[in-house]
Amino acid sequence: MSMVRYFIRHRTAYRYSGRIDLCHSLAHLRPREDEGQELSSHRIEVTPEPRFQRERTDFFGNRTNYLAIQQSHDFLEVLATTTVIKPDFAPVLRKAGVAWNKWSVLPSEKDPSGVRLGNYTLPTQASPALGAVTEFIKPSLVPDTDVMDLVNELMGRVFREFAYVPGATDTTTPLEKVMKQRQGVCQDFAHVMIAALRSIGIPVRYVSGYLETLPPPGQKKLQGADATHAWIEVFSPSTGWVGFDPTNNQLPGSQHIKICHGRDYFDVQPLKGIFLGTGTQELIVQVDVERM
Amino acid sequence: MNGISQTLTGVVSGLIPPELYRPGPGTRDESVNSDGTAVPAWAEIFESYRRHGVGVLKDWREAALRISRDRGLAYRPDLGGGASWTLDPIPWVFSPEEWQQIETGISQKLRLSAAILADIYGEQSLIERRLIPASIILSHRGFLRALHNYPPGGKAIGLGMTAFDLARGPGGRAYILNDRFDCPYGLGVALENRTVVNRVLPNLFRRCQVRRIGYFFNDWFNYLAEQAPAHSDNPRIVILDSNNGGESSEISFLSNYCGITRVVPSDLTVRSAKVWLKSLSGLKPVDVIWKTTYGRDLDPLEANRRNRAEGITGIFEALRESNVAVAGHPGAEVLQSPGLFPFLAPICREILGEELILPPAATWWCGEKKARQYVIENLSKMVVKSVGHHSDFHTRYGQRLSQTELAELRTQIEAEPERYVGQEELNISTVPTSTEAGLVPRSAVVRSFSFLDGKGEPHVMPGGLGRVSTAEGVIISTRESGESKDIWVRSHQQDAPISIARRLEQSRVISPEVVPSRRGENLYWAGRYGERTDSISRFANRLVVGRSSGFSYGRDLEARHEKTLLEALFRIFEAELWIEKVKDPEARLNLILNDENCPVGVGPNLNNFHRACMAAREEWSVTSILAIESARDKWFEGTKDFESPYRYEAQLENLALNLAAFHGLNLDSMTRDEAWGLLDAGCRIERMSILAGLLIYVLEVDEPEPMATLLNESVLFVSDSLGTYQSKFLTVPKTGLTLKLLLGEEDYPRSVRYLLERLEIVLKKLKAPAKNPHPIERISPMKDELLLFLSSISHETGSLAGSQQAALSYLVSFRLQLKELHDYITTSYFSHAGYQG
Repeated sequence: MSMVRYFIRHRTAYRYSGRIDLCHSLAHLRPREDEGQELSSHRIEVTPEPRFQRERTDFFGNRTNYLAIQQSHDFLEVLATTTVIKPDFAPVLRKAGVAWNKWSVLPSEKDPSGVRLGNYTLPTQASPALGAVTEFIKPSLVPDTDVMDLVNELMGRVFREFAYVPGATDTTTPLEKVMKQRQGVCQDFAHVMIAALRSIGIPVRYVSGYLETLPPPGQKKLQGADATHAWIEVFSPSTGWVGFDPTNNQLPGSQHIKICHGRDYFDVQPLKGIFLGTGTQELIVQVDVERM
Repeated sequence: MNGISQTLTGVVSGLIPPELYRPGPGTRDESVNSDGTAVPAWAEIFESYRRHGVGVLKDWREAALRISRDRGLAYRPDLGGGASWTLDPIPWVFSPEEWQQIETGISQKLRLSAAILADIYGEQSLIERRLIPASIILSHRGFLRALHNYPPGGKAIGLGMTAFDLARGPGGRAYILNDRFDCPYGLGVALENRTVVNRVLPNLFRRCQVRRIGYFFNDWFNYLAEQAPAHSDNPRIVILDSNNGGESSEISFLSNYCGITRVVPSDLTVRSAKVWLKSLSGLKPVDVIWKTTYGRDLDPLEANRRNRAEGITGIFEALRESNVAVAGHPGAEVLQSPGLFPFLAPICREILGEELILPPAATWWCGEKKARQYVIENLSKMVVKSVGHHSDFHTRYGQRLSQTELAELRTQIEAEPERYVGQEELNISTVPTSTEAGLVPRSAVVRSFSFLDGKGEPHVMPGGLGRVSTAEGVIISTRESGESKDIWVRSHQQDAPISIARRLEQSRVISPEVVPSRRGENLYWAGRYGERTDSISRFANRLVVGRSSGFSYGRDLEARHEKTLLEALFRIFEAELWIEKVKDPEARLNLILNDENCPVGVGPNLNNFHRACMAAREEWSVTSILAIESARDKWFEGTKDFESPYRYEAQLENLALNLAAFHGLNLDSMTRDEAWGLLDAGCRIERMSILAGLLIYVLEVDEPEPMATLLNESVLFVSDSLGTYQSKFLTVPKTGLTLKLLLGEEDYPRSVRYLLERLEIVLKKLKAPAKNPHPIERISPMKDELLLFLSSISHETGSLAGSQQAALSYLVSFRLQLKELHDYITTSYFSHAGYQG
């Protein structure tokens, strides 16, 4: 199988109106190295320099960095640069071999990475059990449909029935509001699918990642024009985890580069920080995904 | 009722006379056998009661209340959820043999719990082997994925202080109704109850040879000290209360009793993966945290999924680095799930190879089809509980529900069955409980406290917290208020008394107590607000008197005087917006006397004073607390209407008296340490700041006589110096002489000169902040400038040799220096903002 190589530059910068004396951060910025994806280089540079940092593996097998910035600062920058190698392939949807209404998942069963499926079948704060979600999934619940066909059909419906409106939501917007206004961004669509599929007991996980975007023909690609992306993976009894990207209504392929996965956004938030200080903050995120 | 009844056999051998105590029908009673004779362990209690007669119960209850109050417990400590518990002086008595059985059961329960917890955060073999349904653990809000595999390397897991609620059913078998692993309430209440009951019934206590509970605490502290990271010889142990743990927090009692520092999350900070206590003498390393807050709220970076900066950010990293120990494991809450109850007996058989001695009341998890059917079919007899998902479901008692409510509950269970358990409602045994009319049977539960030490040895407190239902047939739940009882475990020999605080001090196993910055900050503000309240009430007094009797200067002049004084007051406290909104003089006075929000209101400042004092509760004597409480309570009695000014005059006087008593008592009882230094500094800085402000706004007026005289008189009155002025100068108040007295008089406690001298002395109690100059270095230049200014005032005539303007500019600059001193103290000692770790 041929391979594709990406150079990724992911810059997060905070500018504060006041002085910050202490900042604790947890980063989920290192792309996973499993399921065929490899890293040939990875580096995280932080300004100002953290007095203390540690890398460890979290509950879901993601690599996470704890960073403590203990000197007074009004600017914080975290720059992650990664070279990823992954197989170049066109995804094909393969059937699960079981109908959704005939399948019952054993929550104690482990997936190939050793995490119990029960972690992915229960509601979470960002993807709670909601009446609006059970209503939404109802038309897709045709008895005896293969699990993967059901997910694929549901993905199409999310794509068609929800409007992609950048800025319509932020990370604190509750799912209830997304269901009501029928608009949002990639992570909202991922949470809609997660909540819907978990309501019928299907194991599903949230994926954070990057998406390679191509400039319009004849134009040069703009710097920092890419963004972080989010999609989902559903556990298939026949093939293991299978990706679905409801924002683009497609199966993730070689252009989707995975960073981390968890139960929902909050398990894999790229950079979570809690600081001591006063004032407001301005956040800038720039992502470049370059095919090498 | 004499002679023979003096001997114990009076009750022991015979039946308990029904007029003494009569257990209810159909329910087991702890003190009376089924044949109507007294249970031997209770004989002395009945005998004493019989000897004294029914009336003694009232005496005992009143004595208990009075002792509580004398100990500063005007409010009974809170058991969580806002419930408050009163104390029934009649203890619940256990024989040595009876307690031995309970102890064995609890010891087993501890070993079992530790094994389950270690498995949940490690291998999860119990889930693998389907001894525990996965969803009960994986969906529990107390299951902290961030602590998966903690502690590392198979190190023993710390359960910490645990509590089990025990009750006995009709057959006499003991059951565990609730498990509390994460943050057991009631230990402080149990301690307090013991102290009070011991004083109400000292002879009975001795005769019954009741086991002392102090030894249990001693063992607990030895255990905590052993948990310290290897590098510390004198570990610093702190007890962690929640941020809103207020005045009535039982944690304060625990910390006082044991002599260890009580902290709230904001007292601690994590730097370089180590935990530090922000103290008045800088950041101090913390080795062991005795946690009484929920583990899921501990680290906002990892445990709490909402981005709230409460808790101790970064502490999980410090745990992983083994730089701090937290007792117990922050993820232990998952063990509290009643969803585990149906599976405990098989797990116990499987991993300990033993039969469960203290089983839970029969419980069915609705996630299993057959169990669910059983629960639904018997719903009206069930207690339905949440297994601990992210929900706010409150326990429902089937017996109390209407048909409609039962139907709703049924729908709720069927929608998400795995979230609920049904539990059999036990017919709980009763104990004799005192009322003014006599002893009555009430169902009761013992909250028993215990821990597992580093070698895996169980320690069970010989005693606990008894909780009694409020009326016959009422269910006991932690959410409700009710009566509490001391638990007496009898022994075959007498225990020697023990004082924990003394023992800890003697053994020096732990670091001496330091003053947390938050407490220091509250003391400083107690000083400031106390002084502010006092000054404002003097302002009010002056205004009220002027209004009711006049100063014989004529209406017009007096009205302008009142306006000047009022506006000066508002401007001192930067409340200009309020005087723009409210123009009417009477309405302005009303703001001072009755408003709940106005910054120059007596009430809001008094409340702030009270709040600051209570947040530093550890510092006050019992009498000081009475003065603080009384100052506030008396002030808020009734509104102050202008028709009868004598009423609020009396209230103002009373307030001044209580505040003076507070200061006097502190002068008499507080150690002259850094804490006292801050209280005193706050008081003096506030006094100087108000005085300087007042002089500035009065000097600005610049009106011919007699206005100046009247204003000077008011300044002297508000500064409590009118009498001193009159006896010293024998003339009407002149501006120059007023300034001379209030700014420059030597050895006069109300003069700025004296106040600066004192401030310098009290601030010396503080250590210089790291790498920065000591705050007293700011005081010498202030003193020099004062003397320079004073030399410009003529000594004989008291006229201002320089201009009004020179005096004004001196005062403005002085006030600014005070403000800077205040800011410097705040950043250096309270916020530690500049610390470079």
